[in-house]
Amino acid sequence: MANHLVRYAAQQSKARISPIISQVRSAHDHAHDHHEVGDPIKAIIGNREVVGFGMNGQPNYIDRVDFPLPAIRYKEVTPDIQVLREKEKGDWHKLTIEEKKALYRASFCQTFAEIKAPTGEWKSVLGFALIGCSLACWIYIWMKKYVYAPLPVTLSPERQQAQLERMINMQIAPIEGLASKYDYEKGRWKE
Amino acid sequence: MFRSGLARTASFARNLAVPNNCKCIAGVRFMSKHSTESDVEFDARYESFFNRKDIDGWECRKAMNDLSGMDLVPEPRIVIAALNACRRLNDIALAIRFLETVKDKCGNKKEIYPYILQEIRPTLDQLGLSTPEELGYDKPELALKSVYEL
Repeated sequence: MANHLVRYAAQQSKARISPIISQVRSAHDHAHDHHEVGDPIKAIIGNREVVGFGMNGQPNYIDRVDFPLPAIRYKEVTPDIQVLREKEKGDWHKLTIEEKKALYRASFCQTFAEIKAPTGEWKSVLGFALIGCSLACWIYIWMKKYVYAPLPVTLSPERQQAQLERMINMQIAPIEGLASKYDYEKGRWKE
Repeated sequence: MFRSGLARTASFARNLAVPNNCKCIAGVRFMSKHSTESDVEFDARYESFFNRKDIDGWECRKAMNDLSGMDLVPEPRIVIAALNACRRLNDIALAIRFLETVKDKCGNKKEIYPYILQEIRPTLDQLGLSTPEELGYDKPELALKSVYEL
């Protein structure tokens, strides 16, 4: 399948199958190659047909399922497409499947199935997120090793135990706190 | 001449100031929300819009884009009218794109699209139009070249 797509992509690269950026670029080339620099719109879209208002009145092309018909046709007018357009004016029964598809691709870049096809981008997003997480772990390890001082000795279990005994002996918080939970007569924690 | 004009203006102004037919005022508010158009009226409006003899590509695309922005699947009669409009405009790409839109509008209700196809089949045969499935457009066909590799 992937092979298949790559092959098609290679075929289509001649036809410049790509969204807006390619148009701007090819139009740029166009403006230099030809003398039609007068019309600023033409400088942007080349000799593409403007076929509608579009999303915002600008002559741009974008594939969207919620706005399927952009303002301009995708491909510039070429002689072979003009031949097809003439044929399109006649009976559509005489058009072959290939000609119908060529006409479609002249007007639109991607079909709905292609617009909605999964790009697999989530894999790279997930991958980079996990790389970020692991990087944070390594930074933490490095900080522990080279930046922070060792933990205070008072955090050792013996010292903590001794501190607790001292707090019990001093009857710290006898109403609701530590000492209230200690039974001094029996010398152990209350049940 | 001037006097008669003045008189007519005065009577016109009086009509504006003192509405003498108050019966329609209660229900009419000039608000855009809460359309009172029924579904049948809506279908008829779009069908007649697409059926206009002098419809041009801009209008056709505007109506199709509007339809694809609404929370509905166009009725087969609207689809038929739209396809006929595409035929008059000699734009088969537009017709195929609209069929794709209709299919997309069905969402996860898989039973709607076959019904619409069944209803519009005579029109498809009459126009010589292929469905997106017949063109192989129900599955992705071409890969998009990355914009960074142009």
